[in-house]
Amino acid sequence: MVNIQDIFVLIKQVPDQSAKAGINPDGTIDRAKAKRMLNPFDRYALQAALHVKKTYGGKVTAITMGPPAAIEILLEALEHDIDIGYMLSDKRLAASDTLATAYALHKVIKYIGHFDLIFCGLQTTDGDTAQVGPQIAERLNLPQASYCEDFKIENDKVIAKRVVEGGFERVKMEMPALITVANSYHPLEYKSLRGARMVQHLLRNESEKGKYIKTITLDDIGADPVKCGLKGSPTIVARTDKVSEIGGSCKIHQGQSVEQLISEVINDTNILEFIKS
Amino acid sequence: MSDVKTLPEIITPSNKEVIVIAEQSNGEIRPVTFELLGAGRDLANKLGGILSCTLLGYKLNNLPEKLISYGADVVYIADDKVLENYQTLPYRRVIVDFLSGFKLPPHIVLLGSTTCGRDLAPRIAAHFETGLTADCTELDIGPYEHTNKIDPEKVGLYPGCLYAIRPSFGESLKARILGPWKNPQMATVRPGIMMPLLPDKNHRGEICNIPVNLKPEDYRSELIEIVHEVNKSVNLTEADVIVSGGFGLGKADGFELLGELAACFENSVIGASRKVVDIGWIPYQHQIGQTGKTVRPKVYIACGISGAIQHRVGMNKSGLIIAINKDPDAPIFKFAHHGIVGDLYQVIPELIKQLKSSKKTKEEKTLVRQN
Repeated sequence: MVNIQDIFVLIKQVPDQSAKAGINPDGTIDRAKAKRMLNPFDRYALQAALHVKKTYGGKVTAITMGPPAAIEILLEALEHDIDIGYMLSDKRLAASDTLATAYALHKVIKYIGHFDLIFCGLQTTDGDTAQVGPQIAERLNLPQASYCEDFKIENDKVIAKRVVEGGFERVKMEMPALITVANSYHPLEYKSLRGARMVQHLLRNESEKGKYIKTITLDDIGADPVKCGLKGSPTIVARTDKVSEIGGSCKIHQGQSVEQLISEVINDTNILEFIKS
Repeated sequence: MSDVKTLPEIITPSNKEVIVIAEQSNGEIRPVTFELLGAGRDLANKLGGILSCTLLGYKLNNLPEKLISYGADVVYIADDKVLENYQTLPYRRVIVDFLSGFKLPPHIVLLGSTTCGRDLAPRIAAHFETGLTADCTELDIGPYEHTNKIDPEKVGLYPGCLYAIRPSFGESLKARILGPWKNPQMATVRPGIMMPLLPDKNHRGEICNIPVNLKPEDYRSELIEIVHEVNKSVNLTEADVIVSGGFGLGKADGFELLGELAACFENSVIGASRKVVDIGWIPYQHQIGQTGKTVRPKVYIACGISGAIQHRVGMNKSGLIIAINKDPDAPIFKFAHHGIVGDLYQVIPELIKQLKSSKKTKEEKTLVRQN
C-alpha cells in the first residue's frame, strides 16, 4: 500500500544561453537583459513529481528561489498541473553560493512542512554544480539518490535507478527521501488544458494568484540572514577569464572534388592510425 | 592600492594536509583517484603539508600500498563489508566522523567529479558548512586579498588559498573560486584532466585504520543491484574515435551512414548533438555537450553539427576534430582542426571508400614486410 501525500519539486529560473540577448561581449550574463527559462534539467524533476502524483497520488508543491521574475517558472509549472508554488524572494539572498542556497531552500521546506519525496534537477545550466540537491538532503538528514533516471514506489519505499559510470545501480530508500533526476528520465509532458486555462485566469485576475503562488521572505521562514546570500556563502568567484577562442586554426577544405577534399584531409591528419586493421 | 597593503594577514586554522577521497570498485582504484593524487601532491608541496588519502571498501588487500606509490604520504583505510560499494549514507558517516576527528581541520579535501564524488562531496561540505567548488579543471595554491567591505569580517589577506578553477557559463569563461575563510576547502575535479604521477615503489607512506561506526539511520537506504552494461552502454568517454551527428543529417536514417563510418575505426562510437536526441533520432546515451557527456577522444568527426557552444563544451578538447558541414559559416569551423565544406551524404561515403582502400594498402605493406 503506497501512501504519498506531498511531493516537492525544486526548480530554478536560469538565463537562456542559446539566446543572444543579455550575453555580454566578455561572456558574462546580464541577467536583467537575458532571456529567462526554466532550468532544462528541472523539467525532468517536474515530470518525476507529476508522475508520482498521477501514479500514486499526492499533491505537488513547486519551490523556487530567485528575483521576482522567477514567478514565471511557477506559472509554467502550474500549467503542468502542480498544485501550489512557493517563491522565496529576498534581496538578502543575492550572491548565494550552493551552501547558502541549500540553507535557504531547506528552511523553505521546513516551513512548508510535511513531504514524502523531494525532486530536484540533476544540476542547473547556469551553475553546473549538482550540489544543491545533496546539500539540502544533508541539512534535512535525508537519504538521497542522485543521477536517478527512473524510480518506482513499493511498500512505502522508493527504488531509484541511478546511472553510474559503466552501468546503473538500484537503491532502495525509506521515505522521506530526496532524488536528483538525470536527463535520461522521461521528458516533461505537454502542459494540461486545465493548467493552461487556470494560468490564463490567474494572469487576468491578479488577486487570485496568491491562492496558488505563495511569495515568502527570509523572515517568513525564520532563516538566519547571516547564513544567506553573500554573507552565508563560504566561496566567492575571485575572478573570471574569458576562454580564448581557438578560432583561425581550422584548415578549411572546399572547392575541389569530394575525392580530392578527402585525400587532402587524410594526408593532412593522422586519421589512418585509428582505422581497424 | 595602498590600503590593500595594510590588510591584516589571516591564516585560517588548518593542519596543511591535503586529503584525497579515493574511489574504488571491484577491487580496483578508479583512475580519477590517481589523477587527484597527482594534483594533490603539487598542492601539498606548495602548502608545505602532507598528501593523504582515504580509502573505503572491503578486502582492500594491496590497494593502500598502490595509493602510496602514486604519491600519498598517509592512507587512511576503512575496510568493512558495508563499505564494499559506494553508498551515500555509510560513506558519508565514515568520512564525516573521520574529518571531525582532526584537532585542526585539513586544509583541502578533493574528490573526483564522478557519480560518487558529486553525490558525496556536497553532503560533506554541507555538514561542515564549508565551501565546495564543483567539477574543477585546474587547481592551484596562492594568496587572496579580500577587500569587499560589504562583509567586513571577511576582509584580509589570506595566504595559501585553494584556487579552484572551473569553466562557467557554458565554458566561455574560466572562473577562479576561493573559500579561504574556512577549512577544509573542498573541490571535485573533472576526471581525465589532471596528470597522475608515475608510480614510485620507493615512496614511503603510512597506513592507518579509521573507525566505522554506522548509526541505524545510515541504513535507511540500501544498494540492491549493480549492473555493468559493458556491451550495451555507449562508452563515449573511453572511445578513441567518435563519429557524431547533428541536425544537418536531415533524417534519423543518417546515423546508419555514420555507423558505417565509425565501423572503419578501432574503438569507435556514435555521438550526437542535443537537438537530434531531443527529436528522438537517437537515444540520450549518445548525447555530447553541456547536458550530455564531455568527451575527449583522439579523433572527433562532427557531421552536420553546427557547433553551438553547448555542443562545443562537450568535445572541444578532442585530439583531432574534423567537421563536415555544408554551411561554410557554421561555428564548428571556428574550432575544428579540419573542416570539409560539403554535403555530408557525398563526403562521408567518399571518406569511407578512401579509408577502406588505405586500409588495403596498409595491409599489403604489412604483407610485403612480412615476406
